[in-house]
Amino acid sequence: MSLYLEKYESELSKKFIKNGYVILKKKNLTNLKYIRSLIIKKSAQILGIKPPNDKASEKFLNNIHKDIKIKDLNNFRLKIIKYMNEDKNFKRNYFYSAKDLLFTLVGNELAMQSRVNLSIQLPSDKSSLLPVHSDIWSGDSPFEAVVWLPMVNCHSTKTMYLLKPEKYNKIHKNFSKYIGKSSLDFYRSIKNDVKWIKINFGEVLIFNQALPHGNVVNKENETRWSMNCRFKSLYSPYGDKKIGEFFEPITLRAASKIGMHYHLPKIND
Amino acid sequence: MGERVPQNIQNLVIRDFCEKNNLFYNLSVSEYSMPNSYKILDQIIEELKSLDGIVAYSVFQLPMDNKKRYTVLSQIIKKNKKLYFALENMKLVNQEDLEKIENMWLIKKTLPNCLKKI
Repeated sequence: MSLYLEKYESELSKKFIKNGYVILKKKNLTNLKYIRSLIIKKSAQILGIKPPNDKASEKFLNNIHKDIKIKDLNNFRLKIIKYMNEDKNFKRNYFYSAKDLLFTLVGNELAMQSRVNLSIQLPSDKSSLLPVHSDIWSGDSPFEAVVWLPMVNCHSTKTMYLLKPEKYNKIHKNFSKYIGKSSLDFYRSIKNDVKWIKINFGEVLIFNQALPHGNVVNKENETRWSMNCRFKSLYSPYGDKKIGEFFEPITLRAASKIGMHYHLPKIND
Repeated sequence: MGERVPQNIQNLVIRDFCEKNNLFYNLSVSEYSMPNSYKILDQIIEELKSLDGIVAYSVFQLPMDNKKRYTVLSQIIKKNKKLYFALENMKLVNQEDLEKIENMWLIKKTLPNCLKKI
């Protein structure tokens, strides 16, 4: 089935299946810098402070917890999400930052999540935790992949974790053993088998959302900023999240357009 | 398009959409429940002069028939009015929007012929 994939495509695909994720270091940071400048501009505007220059961007985001209280965090986050998703070029830049990975691993006729998510995890904040979960268990399609963009360097507890595929396969076989456990108990039972994703700004992560993943309290002294967005092959099966209300077509191809408009000619008797 | 959401829920979604987008929610109308009836929609389009535009619950409430749907959408653009779709957070203002909506519809109509089961 994968007979005609290029060598590098086969290797990337194998890596994705084996590890559950792939990280690509971008040579050209234009798309990522566009995205980062958007969130910095809006953050500075909300906080009533002067936006930093490009060199100081990382420091500004890493230290945002000095300017914002945990109780105001969600409103702050929602304002930025609204702003970035309303920007005409934001989603295009998001897609282009991961285009090569997506075309190789997902397909070249794609549907993209209509609204990109933003996570901001302040140091020691217990209110922004994402307990261990697989997106498929809550209605996503296993045909989707998540593109995760760090806006700052992420490591240790300032990042996300992903259960290794070989470990997940064991859990999958004995899943009934885990039913009824709280997500914390579930996390405890897998915590030695998860991969903490070390990733820097300028790199793009794509991961298999079927694998259990999540985060813990950020014990570093910097704030984590990351974005996540789901992509899928346009004509692959959908879960609860449908075309229109959740996904939108972004790379519809000419042959599909022709096909969708085609009607066999009528024959009159 | 084969999906039914109770009217009160549709109204909630529309109200919320109007609030978030600073749109004045004027009057709510419901289409007749007979299959393929677009009498009310046609009537609103006729009377659009006195309104800024229409907010529909979903883009998939538009006519199933490609020609009829295209006519409805074109009429709204011609009249320089706006048509919003609350669930999908979409709007129709120009030809580019029309093509986006049409693509969405054609894909939706194609999907039953694609692999469905997970």
